[in-house]
Amino acid sequence: MSAERSLELAALQQELAQAGYIADPPLAAALLLMQDLGRPLLLEGDAGVGKTEVAKVLAATRRTRLIRLQCYEGLDAHAAMYEWNYQRQLLAIKLLEHDERASTKDLAQKEQDIFSERYLLKRPLLEAISCDEAPVLLIDEVDRADEAFEAYLLELLSDFQLSIPELGTVHATSRPWVVITSNGTRELSDALRRRCLYQYIDYPDHAKELAIVRLKVPGVAAELAQQIVAFVQAVRRMELQKKPGIAETLDWTAALLRLGISVIDVDGADRILQTLSTLIKTRDDGAAFPREVVARLAATC
Amino acid sequence: MLNAATLDSRAAERLVGFPGFLRANGFGVGGGDAVPVLQAARRVGLLDPQVLRWSLQALLCGRGDEWRRFDELFDAWFLPANRWQAPERRDAGGGTLGGTCPRGPAGHHAADDEGEDAVHPRDTASPHETLSSADFSTLTEREHTLEVEALMRRFARQLRHLRLRREARARRGARLDLPATIRRSVASGGTPFHLAWKDRRRVRPRLVLLIDVSRSMALYSFFYLRLARALGAELNDVHSFIFHTRITAVSQALHDPDPWRAQERLHLMAQGWAGGTRIGESLAQFNRRHAPRLVHSRTAVLILSDGYDTGEPQALSDALAQLRRRARRVVWLNPLCARPGYAPICQGMQAALPHIDLLAPAGDLASLQAVLPELIAALH
Repeated sequence: MSAERSLELAALQQELAQAGYIADPPLAAALLLMQDLGRPLLLEGDAGVGKTEVAKVLAATRRTRLIRLQCYEGLDAHAAMYEWNYQRQLLAIKLLEHDERASTKDLAQKEQDIFSERYLLKRPLLEAISCDEAPVLLIDEVDRADEAFEAYLLELLSDFQLSIPELGTVHATSRPWVVITSNGTRELSDALRRRCLYQYIDYPDHAKELAIVRLKVPGVAAELAQQIVAFVQAVRRMELQKKPGIAETLDWTAALLRLGISVIDVDGADRILQTLSTLIKTRDDGAAFPREVVARLAATC
Repeated sequence: MLNAATLDSRAAERLVGFPGFLRANGFGVGGGDAVPVLQAARRVGLLDPQVLRWSLQALLCGRGDEWRRFDELFDAWFLPANRWQAPERRDAGGGTLGGTCPRGPAGHHAADDEGEDAVHPRDTASPHETLSSADFSTLTEREHTLEVEALMRRFARQLRHLRLRREARARRGARLDLPATIRRSVASGGTPFHLAWKDRRRVRPRLVLLIDVSRSMALYSFFYLRLARALGAELNDVHSFIFHTRITAVSQALHDPDPWRAQERLHLMAQGWAGGTRIGESLAQFNRRHAPRLVHSRTAVLILSDGYDTGEPQALSDALAQLRRRARRVVWLNPLCARPGYAPICQGMQAALPHIDLLAPAGDLASLQAVLPELIAALH
């Protein structure tokens, strides 16, 4: 049984790599378990470590839709779950009023019709549980939404059903794969945490980041990739307000390639400085990178 | 799928005990977690410890600090004693911050008998060192607790009425919420009988308390910690830190429902408190480690300190300037401020003054009460 499991795990990692994502074994194990237990997966970690990407690549490997709900402050049920299409409802009412031929029986019928699925606009959460084939539901940055939203979410995640007062309870036709990401700006409730599998994603180490660069930017020479990753890892070790994430590394690689830089060395410090805006995103951090620092970092790569 | 019988009963017993062991070590898992653990183990199998480790880690962890401590606890529980080499105590050196619970794994007997008895002797020795510098035993003393709680309740109630610019639906307001009005009119056939209004939303600022616990503050720090505890009980978005030469998060320890354990945890965190104050360095550390996560444009930072700083004034000035850019308000409560003839002339306060929104006295309950309206106004 267990030999099979490690094979399964390796196969999943392989599959994810083909779809463009380098996953650590613990993450792959969690994804397998998510499949077995049907639980949502909660991903935490700094911005730019590839949390959202997990959901995208999961959808790609499962060949299914990705439904994304971006959370923000003030997100309410109308934006997240469902909304009545009231323009059309009103139109229907007006038409009915002017329709002189309609009998009383018709009217009763029409009245019921006004609050039927025809006039329901599905927002991401309702959409996700009413698909024929299980989609991947990505609830991005759940910590930005307020506590009230977390309560709706709990109902959905525990029973996979939504209650709409005018219509009744909508049961899931298929169980979506739920991926929730959080940047930790607000403490999530224990109830939510307990319903989910958990995964903390850290900045990648040297080997993993190198693999990502080679995978995502196939045109980069092996030696340059090595240097780029060493440089970025050194930058991350410095005390910065905003550490560069993986997307920044890839941007920087693209910028270097665009400028035709094939090797990072002390002489190229000026040209590296021109591209640093892809890595360094605040003014204070920019001040920490005068030419000498860049040259010193470049020399050690 | 295999059934339960295929798991060797001894292994199953060991697995079922694991959530309890984690619980004894401060994890937020419950008795009900034994079932999914068995389910997962049945799926994953037991022969490959790595895969089992990763699976249980995903299943049983709920937050970052649990995630980082998991490996050590997994080894302690599942590996035979001779194969488990005690891992280096990263949190014993005092370098880490998350160390709200700076001990090794509590033995699983702790879960069975008294819970906290299994603390290592080295840790229990620490309270004696710190007793001289700060006395937390007063933290939960009955005497003033009621007054502090009443004041904090009033403060919290007033804070709830702070309004910011954002608008939301309201029962009554100045502006009509047109989409919502039309939506409601459907029920009455398109005639808008029930109007919906918009009003400015009430959004309470997040509070971050930075409490100075150096020796010069020994008289006041316990009082401030009590304030923090009472405030945290009233409001849900309060984050407390203590600092002297470095900064440590104490919210979790403060809000431990068991007051005795809260004291114990604070004692453990306070090791080596008697040293000097380096406010600038502590704030810089706060900016690096906690501010990106905690401080946003609705955050009010309250610094509770006397401003006697043994570090560089420039460092304090820089750190405060950085913090000021992130936060909505920075308020400094100084216990010495109320004394007759006090002027903020010490270097620390001089460096800080340009960057703070309000400097107010807060030596005792009465002066804090007096300054409350000003404080509320500053938080607007």
